[in-house]
Parts: sequence; structure tokens; C-alpha cells
Amino acid sequence: MSRAYRITVKEGLNREVKGSDEICTKIEVLEILPPEQMAELLKRELLERGFKENEDGTVTRIDGTVSVTVEPCSGEITVKSESAEKVSLEANREVTGYDDVGPGEGALRERVREQLKQELERKAERESERLQTEATKNLEQALDDLQPELGKVINKVTRDALKQKAAQMGTITEIAEDAETGNLTIKVEV
Amino acid sequence: MEAELATERISVIDADEPVMLVPEPPGPRVVSRFEFNLLRILKFILGQFPAEQATGLIQTRHAPAPHCLSRNCVQLVKDHLSKGLVQYLVRSGGWRRDRFLNGQKPVEGRVWERLPLQIRQLTFSRHPLTFLIWLTAERPTDPKETWELSPGELTAGDELFFAMALDAIRSPMPDVFQVFSGKPAFRQNPLCWLFSPADFARAEQPEPPVLAGYFKGTRATILECLQPVLHQRWVRAERSKGQIADWRTLRQYGEAESITLARFLAEAGLIGRTDLARFILKTAATILGNAELTPAFWTGGLQGSGPPRLADRLEAQRAALALPRHIETLQNWDRRARTVRHFDDEYASSQLWLAEWEAAKGDELAARARRVIDLLEPLRT
Repeated sequence: MSRAYRITVKEGLNREVKGSDEICTKIEVLEILPPEQMAELLKRELLERGFKENEDGTVTRIDGTVSVTVEPCSGEITVKSESAEKVSLEANREVTGYDDVGPGEGALRERVREQLKQELERKAERESERLQTEATKNLEQALDDLQPELGKVINKVTRDALKQKAAQMGTITEIAEDAETGNLTIKVEV
Repeated sequence: MEAELATERISVIDADEPVMLVPEPPGPRVVSRFEFNLLRILKFILGQFPAEQATGLIQTRHAPAPHCLSRNCVQLVKDHLSKGLVQYLVRSGGWRRDRFLNGQKPVEGRVWERLPLQIRQLTFSRHPLTFLIWLTAERPTDPKETWELSPGELTAGDELFFAMALDAIRSPMPDVFQVFSGKPAFRQNPLCWLFSPADFARAEQPEPPVLAGYFKGTRATILECLQPVLHQRWVRAERSKGQIADWRTLRQYGEAESITLARFLAEAGLIGRTDLARFILKTAATILGNAELTPAFWTGGLQGSGPPRLADRLEAQRAALALPRHIETLQNWDRRARTVRHFDDEYASSQLWLAEWEAAKGDELAARARRVIDLLEPLRT
């Protein structure tokens, strides 16, 4: 007579899952002054907006999970979003075996453990995909926010460069700036 | 003039064998059934036999190849290769009264007026014939015996022949095409890449062969003749990108095209044969002729939201715009040409490029290309 027995197998998985996304593009700065002076103006403006200078001359601002790095000389900008999470996943399963037919207890336990491991791997993968989607969403949001800010930065850099250029050409007698339209009128006495 | 050319350019199967004009025997030449099929396949490759009939011939396994071909058959293969390929080159563009550089000097005329005979002669190795024998005897998709060769052994004539073979089977026999495009005779053949880089778009980074050989000698002559064909092919390829629905495919196509353009233009600039890049300038003029062009022209066919990462989506879209990206190189040539003084060696060649650039309204094209690229970029200010 066969006797049934029940086995409970428990398996756990601790892993740090990550999702990241980044774009790299260039911002165009008009060459009103020599490139190194334009780069200096751009860097100054970015530092005023919360960017920190790195050892390699780039400036970075980290906002939550998103980092924005600008290389002032080339105008190359990298926006990177990273999400990481430690996940602890657990799964358990009960199976019934019989002592006279089928696999022995050890083999059965091993098979179930293997199945649970695969299941946990799939769950971890899903978590990773979730974080990936989150990172991409954060990046898209950051780009939306960054666009108008960069527009203002470029505008400010261009205005400052024009003032410097005008000062090099002669004596500035009058500067009129319209904040609404962005118009800038500089009168220079040469 | 074509007949005269064909006579001038009698091609040989063995480069060491002296050229002999054999008088035609009376009546048709007698060949075996196998040889008859081989000749029909050759005529298909040369565009002189219908694809529907050739498909059956190529996709059927015939009797094993004979130990040797009859003299009649070999003579007919020679005749077809010498006349067929020359005719193809002449019809493609060799007949045009055009201007190309010859020793840094622009020379005008038809190809046989511009260039001396020795650099318009096509020679063939034994490879086209061994390929034809294999193709006639075997079913390429399921061969009993494989056919491989080292691309370094190919002559300019061989490369043209293999490029035409790949081209001929692309549409009517896609499964055979897949087999061929993986073989070194095609994958390492610069002409195949110039005809259609997308044929070699793969998951891994595409690696075109060295293109430097196509800027001198007979290969440069071939390229001169093929300018209109290449222009036509590249325009078609650019237009077809807008029909590609799969993000990955578009990215792979774009990457293959981009690396081919980059290598080709780099070599052309280095060797000073900017005139051979005329088909790229003309392609740009045709595609970017529309002032209202947007990136959707290249990416409009993409379906679904694409890869989950924004970086991958952007890369696919950027890759699709390979042509506009490389206009910058042509513009750099223009800038460089403007600095060449009339007593410099490259003056005449620079003037030729300047004339072509201006005729194509190059500055306008470059501005449009930049605008299209900018439209795609995030954070444009």
C-alpha cells in the first residue's frame, strides 16, 4: 500500500534590481565670443542654477534619480535616470509524493526547488522591467522640465555674450531689456 | 559604340590565358543539358533571362556537376561575361558624357573617351564559373556541397559579377538571397555594400569591407559607370525606410548605411576622389529637395511604442537619418575646396567638387539636413 507524504519547499531571492536610461545630445550656443568664453558663460549660468563642477570640467546637477551633466566646451549634455531597488522575493509550494511510485523525496524536493527558483527569477525580471519603465518615465519627465530651463540658460548666455561683445566694441550707452519678449537693445558709442 | 567596346574588352576566365578571338562556328553551339541550365542562370544574373524561369532552375538540385565543361560552354560563358557586364556598365552610366577626375584633372566624355583601355578592362578569375557550376548543380538553400571562396582572390570583374548576382536574386528568391548574403564573396564585396548596405544589416555591428580599392584603376571606372545606378538605389533605400515598421530593423539598416557612408566618404576624401561620391550628393539633393521634410520621412513607418528605453528609441531614429548626418562631410569638402588656391595641385579637382556642390545647392541641403537632425533631438533650444 502506498503512503502519501507532503513536502513544503520554500525558496527566497534577495537581489538589487536596476533600471536606467539616458540620452546624450548637444545644446547649441551661438558663437558670439570665442568658444572658451562662451563655455565659461554657460558654466557660470549653470552653476547659478544648482549645477556642481566636476574635476573633468563638466557640471552636474542631481535631482532625485535623474542626473544632468553638461560639458560646457562642447555643449554636450547627458541626462541619466537610474532606479535601483533591493527586492526580497519569497515563494513556497506544497507537493504530494508517494513512497512507492514516482521520484523519491530528495529528487522531488530538488525539482520543486528548481521550479521555484525559475519562478523567482521571472518575478525579479518583472521587477527589473518595472524599474526600467520607471527610469524611462522619470527621464521623459526630466526632459520635459529641462527643456524650458535650458532655453532660459541659452537666452541668458547669449544676452551676456552680446553685452560683453558690445563692451569690446565701444562704450555702452544704453541697455534695454524686455523680459517678456526677450528683446535686448544695446546702444554702443564707438 | 557598345559593340566596339565589347570587342575591346574581351574578358578572360583565366587572367594568364591570352585573349583570343575565336571565329564563330556556323549554327548554334552544342552544349549539354547541365551547361544549358548554367548558361540560362548566367543570363538571368546578367538580366537577360526572366526571373520566374530562373527561380525554378536555381532552386532545383540538378545532376552532379560534370568534371569539366565543354569548350563550347566555356566560350559561351566568356562571351556572356565579357559582353554582358560591359553592356551593363555602359547602360548604367558609362555612355553618359560626364566629368570625372583622372589624375586630379577633370576629364569630360563617355567612359571610353575619358579613360585609357587598360583601366577599363575587366578580367575574371575562375570563381564566377565555379560559382555558376555550383549554383546549377546544387540547391543553394540546402546544398550537398558548399561553395566558399576567399574574397581577396576576386578581381574587379568578379566583384561586379557577384554584386549583380546578389542583386538579381534579392526579390525573386529571398531565401537564396539570405544564404548568399552570408557568404564572403558577397559579404566582403565592396560593391554589394555600395548597392545596398541594408542587405548586411545584422544584430551585431555591421563591418563593411575595405573600400579603398574602389578609388583607383578598374574599380574606380566601374564606380564611375555605376553613379546613376547607385543614385537610384540609395534614393529607393532612403524612401523605403519610411515603410519600416520594426524599430530594430530600422536601426540595423541605418547603422549599416551609416558605417558604409562614413568609410566611403573617408576614403574618397583621403584619396581625393570626391567625384566618386557624386551619387551621395545627388541622393541628398533628391531626398532633401523638399524643404518641408521632417524626420517622419524616415521614421514615419515605425509601429508601436518601440523599445522600452528612450535611449534605444532615440538611437533607432538617429540611425535612420544616416544620410542627412553625413552631408556634413560633403560640406567640409566644400569648405576645404574653397581654400585651395589656383596654383595648388588640387585646384582643378577642388573646382570640380565646388561646381557639383553648387549645382546641387549643397549649402541649402546641408542646412535642411541640420534642421531635420535637430528636429529629432530632445532638448533642442
